[in-house]
Amino acid sequence: MPRSIFNATICFGLVNVPIKLHTATDNKTVSFREVHESDGAPLEHRRVDPESGDEVDFGDIVKGYEISEGEFVELSKEEVKAAAGDRTKTIPIEEFVPAADIDPIYWAKTYHLGPREGGEDAYKALQKALEQTKRAGIGRMTFHDREYLVAVRALEGVLGLHTLHFADEVVDAGEFDLSEPQRGPSQREVKLAASLIDTLSDDFTPEKYDDSYRERVLKMIEAKAKGKQIVRSEPDEPAEESDLFAALQASVKGVKG
Amino acid sequence: MARSLWTGSLSFGLVNVPVQLSSAVRDVGIHFRQLHAKTHRPVDVKRFCSAEDVEVQYRDVAHGYELDDNVVIVTDEDLETVEPRKTRTIEIEAFVPLSGVDPAYFNHPYVLLPIGDSEGTLRAYQLLVEVMATTDRAALGRFVMRTKEYLVLVRAREGRLSLVTLLWHDEVRESTGIAPAGRAKKAAVEQTVALIEELSVDWDPSRYEDRHRERLASVIERKRKGGTVKAPKPEREPAATPDLMAALEQSLAKMKLEGLSKQELLERAADEDVDGRSNMSRDELMEALS
Repeated sequence: MPRSIFNATICFGLVNVPIKLHTATDNKTVSFREVHESDGAPLEHRRVDPESGDEVDFGDIVKGYEISEGEFVELSKEEVKAAAGDRTKTIPIEEFVPAADIDPIYWAKTYHLGPREGGEDAYKALQKALEQTKRAGIGRMTFHDREYLVAVRALEGVLGLHTLHFADEVVDAGEFDLSEPQRGPSQREVKLAASLIDTLSDDFTPEKYDDSYRERVLKMIEAKAKGKQIVRSEPDEPAEESDLFAALQASVKGVKG
Repeated sequence: MARSLWTGSLSFGLVNVPVQLSSAVRDVGIHFRQLHAKTHRPVDVKRFCSAEDVEVQYRDVAHGYELDDNVVIVTDEDLETVEPRKTRTIEIEAFVPLSGVDPAYFNHPYVLLPIGDSEGTLRAYQLLVEVMATTDRAALGRFVMRTKEYLVLVRAREGRLSLVTLLWHDEVRESTGIAPAGRAKKAAVEQTVALIEELSVDWDPSRYEDRHRERLASVIERKRKGGTVKAPKPEREPAATPDLMAALEQSLAKMKLEGLSKQELLERAADEDVDGRSNMSRDELMEALS
């Protein structure tokens, strides 16, 4: 059973469901430590007073919010904590929305929820009811002194919790300037493009795709560890297509052929 | 205009559209500097070699990878040798139903915009927007940004092409062993469904504000005026509901009462012969009736 990172209670109506939060995702990008090129020794990040050059202990650090050039409002760690609010142990769910209506832009990070003692029946009923109604419960969760907007939904057999972006973090489409062509695409082109989509239609099978770059980085590291010479290959540059219709036609033929 | 993070081309069959990528979300968070509590000055963060105790300049920093107890030193040039070949193209490989991609896979949202004003580019871009808007499928492809390869979904959103990077399948964990054993009780599920229906609304993200950001801004404001700030007492975690069916029924009964006007509540109280009902507030009536 995977380790949990946080305990809280989901509240909806008069029902309290004690849960624990498990990480549902891992970042597997090959990550490196910063080392000194000459001797390979790991680097340390030290806080230094810019005038005296003396190292400053973490205990002597406060947070500064810059209100004007060089002028700061200082906040102790306790004062920053005050902004977390008092709902640190509950995840109040005030409403439910159709899960499919939440645009992919809003989803941030995913967690799995496990039940805690005494909450098993309520957990199972909520999981099943969310699965049947295809809805997500929208609530708030305070985690590491920060309040997040969250969606609780049914995953396969378990409850999942997703943190969501706030609306004011999402850039309005209108802010991305877009020029229109003098002549829009023709019916013929739209039809051809649609048939290309049909021919390339498939189910989403994530297992079919591997991070080949990650694999190559790991191989290169192994080769380097054995003292092998590393050689570079040149990237391909695609040409811009001038005849849209001809390109579409050729694509459909290519896929079907 | 948002900064472009990557430029290249979107390759759809044999059609190539030159595009640039910008983030579809922005950082609106409140950021702090680290200050020395004694001098009230911002501190610098510097890199030091742990072996020699000397400051290390950025150009002398290499990437270290721990392999079998040894540290393999990797340079930027080494990493370039393994960069994927087609670094300037988003190659579409398939069209998949958007509903078939679990949100757990969604990583970061971006927008793709055409580069330049050439008629051919703008038409090809618009063609993709139009045709993608008519399908509930999204284009699945890959591309490389800086030194990482991404699996991405491209679809039409508000007249533009929206791109979201996906996690790789081995980055999404299995949930084995997390769910409680046994099936949910049918009656409890039915009542929970009824409660969910009562509490259902349309998804409208503009209704939710970042209250943490607002509170942090007000903490800063109070401090700026010389006030003091105290953390609120942490709440006590409520106990697990001892009787699930009773709690569900009471929740539903309460919802039903909340939907009534005060006049209707008074009539209901008359039906149930509630003492002192004519002098009760709305809340007191609800209390007496539930």
